[in-house]
Amino acid sequence: MGVIYAIARQTVREALRRKIMWIFLVIGVFLISLGPVFGFLSPKDSQTVLRSLGLAAILLAGLFITIVTCIYLIPVEIERRTIYTVLSKPVQRYEFLLGKFLGGFFTVFINIAAMGIVFLAMLYFQEGHHIAPEMARGVMLTFFQMLLLAAITIFFSTITTPVVNFFLSFGVFLVGNLSSVTDTLTTSQNKIAHGVGQFIYYILPQFGNFNVQNRLIHPEESIVNMNAYIVQNIFYSLAYSAVVLAVAIILFDRREV
Amino acid sequence: MATAISIQGLTKKYVDVWAKQEVIAVNNLNLEVQEGEIFGFLGRNGAGKTTTIKMLLGLIFPTAGDATLLGKPMGDNVVKSMISYLPEETYFYDSMSAWDLLDFYGRLFRIPGAERQRRIKLSLEKVRLQPEAWRRNIRGYSKGMRQRTGIAQALINDPKVLFLDEPTSGLDPIAHAELRDIVASLKDEGKTVFLSSHQLADVELICSRVAIIHRGKLLRTGQITDLLAGERTEIVVKGAGLSNGTLQNLRAITPDIEPLEELQALKLFSEDDNQTSAVIDLVRNAKGSVISVVPHKRTLEQVFVETVRKEEGL
Repeated sequence: MGVIYAIARQTVREALRRKIMWIFLVIGVFLISLGPVFGFLSPKDSQTVLRSLGLAAILLAGLFITIVTCIYLIPVEIERRTIYTVLSKPVQRYEFLLGKFLGGFFTVFINIAAMGIVFLAMLYFQEGHHIAPEMARGVMLTFFQMLLLAAITIFFSTITTPVVNFFLSFGVFLVGNLSSVTDTLTTSQNKIAHGVGQFIYYILPQFGNFNVQNRLIHPEESIVNMNAYIVQNIFYSLAYSAVVLAVAIILFDRREV
Repeated sequence: MATAISIQGLTKKYVDVWAKQEVIAVNNLNLEVQEGEIFGFLGRNGAGKTTTIKMLLGLIFPTAGDATLLGKPMGDNVVKSMISYLPEETYFYDSMSAWDLLDFYGRLFRIPGAERQRRIKLSLEKVRLQPEAWRRNIRGYSKGMRQRTGIAQALINDPKVLFLDEPTSGLDPIAHAELRDIVASLKDEGKTVFLSSHQLADVELICSRVAIIHRGKLLRTGQITDLLAGERTEIVVKGAGLSNGTLQNLRAITPDIEPLEELQALKLFSEDDNQTSAVIDLVRNAKGSVISVVPHKRTLEQVFVETVRKEEGL
């Protein structure tokens, strides 16, 4: 564990130096802070606007922060040849990959936590000094959604270049979010459409399940047991990430650097 | 003396799927390096030196063949704790100071805290990095300071075998000489150094044995003293009587003849005393004059160039 921790710590240190990540964080916080402005323009739905804009901003900024942080973690090590000085030491490749993943993910966690704190603080002051636990749950689900995305991005980074990885990861995230399309395809009479729907449903990660903004914002679309739903999604994120990382480790173990 | 590195039939082929071509980077390499020696691994750019080192370190995988380091299979984690590597043109994590960098690498070797601190200090002192730079970001380091840091990271685990890839390239003369001396001093500590370098004068000075590799193939290996054996003698001769016939006779003694047009003279190289005497006698008999006779010690550069050119058919 000491080796994984050392690599993760080093990765956080390097990742936090990347200006692009800070730019996305500033954009995220800026969008969250626009909530009260838009709420003012729409007094009837000010609470809904504030909540939906806040969660969407965290999701969007989190998405870009996760991808730009994780796509470079391994390629930069190879390009700068720093990987030679690490893997020539008594470091197993799985330790290197897990260290990189944990470091990348902790960086994403710091960012989402920062945006989440700003968002919840804004709600606290806008909604009469009342803490909104359902919004905190929304931020937490975004956090686990990004954990899954980080694992997928790390997986792609073991087999492809950062540019291709960006589009692949972004694409998987988009398709995984189109749950309405997946539902339509799986119920389609057309065999091909049905097959595609089944593939997306069973193979690609169901990112859409983590987006509970609508259900949180509109209480009429309530989930019977919210806690069970959240636990189920957290478990899904952890299990899916573990499988993806296991495959990434197998591929990276055979990769020449 | 025990064998530190033993390479048997090591081969690395790359296949270009699109061009349907096979490139042999290392071709059936057999080599043995003894413990405690500084071994020079020489070759042109792209000869297969770095590929060989990377295979030995488990960074890439051989197509065929095998190797052992300190008696254990290459890539083994136990072996990795006893060796170290300085790659060519390394960019370190430059947001770190030399101290933090060595601390990071020390953690990868699982060296306990207090011992790690002691070794960091020892390594930085050994490479003579100024103490005021120890806690400064590597980003602001000169090339020489970076190379010193690179060697220091290779010393952090007190390794038995060091792989150094061009450790002195691109340095100013003072830094160059200092780093060369540091590498040379490793031998006194009983360490084995596998040195890949284009600085043939350095190699000649500090290595006991060398291997010359070309297009992945081992051309020559041996003790430096053996490779450099046999002085050459440069003889400059001049004279109106040096007819074509004399010239042919001279060529029969030594084919190594260059015209010196400015002096209207000839420069010949003889390989031994007999050749030298024969040339001088022939020139005098032809009423020519011998202007100079200068013995030349062979250099590793000459040996290297001759070996490679011979292989290339030049």
